[in-house]
Amino acid sequence: MAGSSMNDIKSRIKSVQSTMQITKAMELVATSKLRRAKERSERARPYYEILGEAIDSISSASELTSCDWTAGREVKRTLYIVIAGDRGLAGGYNSNVFRLAASLAGEDDLFLPIGKKALEHYRHRAKSLYSQSCEYAQQLSVGRAFSLADTICRGYKAGEFDRVVLVYTKFVSMISQLPVYEQLLPLEREPSSKSEGDPIYDGDPEEIIDKIIPQYVGGIITAALAEALASESGARRTAMNSANKNAEEMIGTLMLRYNRARQAVITQEITEIVSGAEAL
Amino acid sequence: MRSFHLEIVTPDGLEFDGQAESLLVRCDEGDVEILASHADFIATLGTGRARLLLDGSERYASVSGGFLSVKGGEVRLVATTFEFAEDIDLDRAVLAKDNAEAALANPKSEIDERVIKAKLARALNRINVAGKI
Repeated sequence: MAGSSMNDIKSRIKSVQSTMQITKAMELVATSKLRRAKERSERARPYYEILGEAIDSISSASELTSCDWTAGREVKRTLYIVIAGDRGLAGGYNSNVFRLAASLAGEDDLFLPIGKKALEHYRHRAKSLYSQSCEYAQQLSVGRAFSLADTICRGYKAGEFDRVVLVYTKFVSMISQLPVYEQLLPLEREPSSKSEGDPIYDGDPEEIIDKIIPQYVGGIITAALAEALASESGARRTAMNSANKNAEEMIGTLMLRYNRARQAVITQEITEIVSGAEAL
Repeated sequence: MRSFHLEIVTPDGLEFDGQAESLLVRCDEGDVEILASHADFIATLGTGRARLLLDGSERYASVSGGFLSVKGGEVRLVATTFEFAEDIDLDRAVLAKDNAEAALANPKSEIDERVIKAKLARALNRINVAGKI
């Protein structure tokens, strides 16, 4: 009786141990991926910042007051670009992004999922997907991000939607990743930051702005993607780390139970031997 | 010569951040040279060679896509690709050129043709710039 419960505990310990092996391996993989992804996102950060500054200085020019790219249109439909991961087992990484997107979006809004998990999530839930072309976040190249930005800008200009919002996870630190959103279009103008007058345009202002805006959108998507990939690895590492800790704790309690059971068996055997000797 | 603060960024990182005396770059409307105290200026970049004058010495680079913005004396070159001549991977550029030329023989669609042509232009530009040093 006690022997069979010992075997049960033993097999449970074994199964927890083999799970731990997997989570440990995944943690190692995530750690090395995280390092690379972090470097990439750090490299993209100055681009993101300087791009933002340059766009700020351009959007304060008066040519933009009347143009499509800055506010002034009634917002009927919003396009949400949602960047999530390609795989699960990353703690709340994917669901946190979806929750934030769901809290922002209305009924008629469009979605553009990036990443396999995002695509799976919205394929069933959203009424309308803008594009299903971005299946893998990991493999989305810079060139692809820029051509995507082109499509988005054309759609915006054609009036398919009146606002573009990007939802992704910002990489704050190794242990903290924050889901955030950012409005890409229309450009949010700094209230009257213009002072030195209008810049000289090398060509037709409208044409130039039409060319710069897709560059801006593409740049922001690229930078956000780098952040999101780093966040995914970070979240997975944290999740696997806590899974390891849980497994260790579980093995500890099971070990204790196993030893107790072993002791009970020994005690019982001694009692049996002693009472047997007495009977003789 | 007087210098100005120049920042050059690509999605791959900050390529240059410092003082420069001159920046000559290929824009969509033609070559443009920026010197210190330039008026506020905005231009979109084409595919071509850039020349920087730093401390009296010239440096060349290949640039494609993006834009140039001058605002209050701050010059920002936001490029899709930017490589200094000595950093160009010539073997890769030659390979890209050969691939593009082969693909151009039978393009799948009009958009495809445009993409390949742009690739070819970038590869040729890199080869050109790398050959200059």
